[in-house]
Amino acid sequence: MTQKLFQARLWKAARMANIGVYVCHCGLNIAGTVDVEKVTEYAKGLPEVKIAKHYTYMCSDPGQRMIQDDIKAHNLNRVVIATCSPRMHEETFRKAVAEAGLNPYLVEIVNLREHVSWPHAHEPKKATEKAKALVRMGVARVKLLEPLEKRKVSVEKNVLVVGGGIAGIQASLDLANAGFKVFLVEKSPSIGGRMAQLDKTFPTLDCSACILTPKMVDVAKHPNITLLTSSEVTSVKGFVGNYEVSILKKPRYVEEAKCVGCELCAQVCPVKVPDRFNEKLSQTRAISVYSSHAVPKVAIINPDYCLRLKTKKKEVCGKCLQTCEAKAINFEQQSETIQLKIGGVVIAVGSEVFDASNMSEFGYGHYPNVISNIEFERISDASGPTGGKILVPKTGQLPKTLVFIQCVGSRDKRFHEYCCRVGCMVSLKQAILAREKIGKDVNIYVCYNDLRSFGKGYEEFYRRARDLDINFVAGIPSDIRMRADGSLYFDVFERGTNKLLEMHADLVVLANGLVPSNDIARINELFHASRSADGFLLEAHPKLRPLECSTAGIFLAGACQGPKDIPDTVAQASGAAAKVIDLLSSGEIEIEPLKAVVDEDLCSGCRVCESICPFVAIEMKKEEVAHGEKLRAEVVEAMCQGCGLCSVACPTGAIKIQQYSREQVVAQVDAALAEAKGGS
Amino acid sequence: MSLVDSMSMAKPNLETREKILAKLKGRELVNCFQCMKCTSGCTALKFLELKPHEIEKLVNLGLVDELASSDIIWTCVTCLKCVQRCPQKASPYHVIIALRNLAVEREAKVPEEFMKAVSRILETGLAESFQDIVSRKMETFDREGLGLPKICFPKESFQAVFMKALEER
Repeated sequence: MTQKLFQARLWKAARMANIGVYVCHCGLNIAGTVDVEKVTEYAKGLPEVKIAKHYTYMCSDPGQRMIQDDIKAHNLNRVVIATCSPRMHEETFRKAVAEAGLNPYLVEIVNLREHVSWPHAHEPKKATEKAKALVRMGVARVKLLEPLEKRKVSVEKNVLVVGGGIAGIQASLDLANAGFKVFLVEKSPSIGGRMAQLDKTFPTLDCSACILTPKMVDVAKHPNITLLTSSEVTSVKGFVGNYEVSILKKPRYVEEAKCVGCELCAQVCPVKVPDRFNEKLSQTRAISVYSSHAVPKVAIINPDYCLRLKTKKKEVCGKCLQTCEAKAINFEQQSETIQLKIGGVVIAVGSEVFDASNMSEFGYGHYPNVISNIEFERISDASGPTGGKILVPKTGQLPKTLVFIQCVGSRDKRFHEYCCRVGCMVSLKQAILAREKIGKDVNIYVCYNDLRSFGKGYEEFYRRARDLDINFVAGIPSDIRMRADGSLYFDVFERGTNKLLEMHADLVVLANGLVPSNDIARINELFHASRSADGFLLEAHPKLRPLECSTAGIFLAGACQGPKDIPDTVAQASGAAAKVIDLLSSGEIEIEPLKAVVDEDLCSGCRVCESICPFVAIEMKKEEVAHGEKLRAEVVEAMCQGCGLCSVACPTGAIKIQQYSREQVVAQVDAALAEAKGGS
Repeated sequence: MSLVDSMSMAKPNLETREKILAKLKGRELVNCFQCMKCTSGCTALKFLELKPHEIEKLVNLGLVDELASSDIIWTCVTCLKCVQRCPQKASPYHVIIALRNLAVEREAKVPEEFMKAVSRILETGLAESFQDIVSRKMETFDREGLGLPKICFPKESFQAVFMKALEER
């Protein structure tokens, strides 16, 4: 590293800048406010500026060619382009000058649009002065820029997919089909996630299991996919293309290879356990298969309930052991740690359904006949606790009046401010299912605030619900009350009729929204995946980079990034898979050189940079020196994102960001102040 | 009963609601999603105690009994603007006409002016009777005085057809 810096200094001493300045009109975006001709004339007078030009669209083909021709004709070795934000076109211009033979990092972008013409549209004269000052600063800085090279590192072609819901399943299949080795980690005993719990899916009313189960089986059978259920990621080290991941596989107490999923064990097990798959609406046994279409279809023992595992005594119970013909049960099974080398990660941990017991007004959790929408799915599902019959929990009868209440826990500043994006469509679907299953004898009402049916075929689905005599009440009740027989009543002000209506229902379904997964904080910590204000994982750019984290090599799929329905989830999962393929397919990746570098002579080993780095890109290395050992900071280039925090924090000035060195920044500041002092 | 209007204590009459829906071409009323465009453009809005979208929603909820016996349904001037503009082809006009028919069936009180108009049609074939014209100089003219041709009144056969149509209703 020292040698590199030394070379750079030598290079600096020997140079004489030949600077070209190019001022872009950006149509009228810049030229409408800033006097581009004046700015160009001004630039011509700046020291070491050989040539200055202006043009309508610098980013266009003729604009780029103009710069390239000038580089060759005038032997330019530095270029300043006064145009829009570098976020927009820095890369474009770097490529352009590289084609003309100049190192791409010798370009300085001056932002005349977002920083000048747009915010100062009402004061063109002052804007022109500001533009001149910024160009002057750019010229002062560009002289001190150093040529940099992109570095290449090789990558592992293995991919880790975290979460086995429909997002994880889709991403795994796409990646596996493209020839990548996929490790799919799921914390539950079976893949399938939320979608496996659903009865039918909007807007086509496809049976959820019918379209999901084949995909689940594909995952289990695919030679490129290693399926790790009842497993969790425990640590992630390394950087993009070269992660080292530890996975903890918890014991099932049943050997996966031997179990045939006959469920005889569950029939003899004496311990009843609330069934998580059925939202605890029914009971399963301490040894059971997770669901009727579980993949892998292998039994699992719940150690919190199993008599033998709880008491840790060999003589207790053991009925399953005696019954199992395949001899698959193994009470001695231990958890296992698996180490993997991974190139890229797809996070697909999904979301949870809002718990309405936090909300006192609707009585959820107290009134048996107030249920959540996910519980309704289980009740309506043929494999659910009622065999697919929609029955009132308290009476076991068919409901006469069924009311849905929308926006529960969503669009509510007390809980979650965002729209859950699925609640409207879920309730429409459930209302239609209730109409189809129960027939004309049930009155169905949907109490709503705004009904949002925005997707393909969704508005038609809403119309279908209205055609089926599902009534929409524009208003949300303030509270629900219960009679002794369990039936419910409440007042709701209907804004269509301007009337206060008193409603009576025997079953109320709350359209609970989606909230971030319980694991999201752990995922955030493990993968350095930032979260947005709503608690979900944050994409790198809301429009242009929606499938990736700001941490390189980590991609997002499905509801972990924000509430999503199945079509959007599958689309994002395939997109994330494609991004991983894009990243890893060539076997190596280019790393931007705009990174932190450490001057070994100045580093005192105080570890401030290590503690402040948000990307964990600093490692402390021990070094032998004359009087013993010395700690020294080292930057892991592949992880450093060039944010500059370390450079600001370093007390000795030993760590700096390439292209943002002290002298480069000071030169800019000096240039900014030169005019203010009255100099030139 | 699943729903009560807390002010009037009225309850939905789903049978009647079904009757009204049957009178519409394709039960289209259920498609109303309360954009309130009909009310925004209603010609008779000034004279209405209930807005067209409210009538629409009340019928949809089954709260029809009160409506069928009220004067409100007779205020519509049948300009058909709402029919033209309704984005869901569920305009209140057809609902109002259905409600009027229902009111007549139930022998509810029909506004006097309305009954007069009906008997005028029966007698003259016209909804309005002839009125003399008064000039600025306060001179009165009838059709003859203005040199206009005489009006032919309908024959008895028209009255028979008209009465028959009314009875069939």
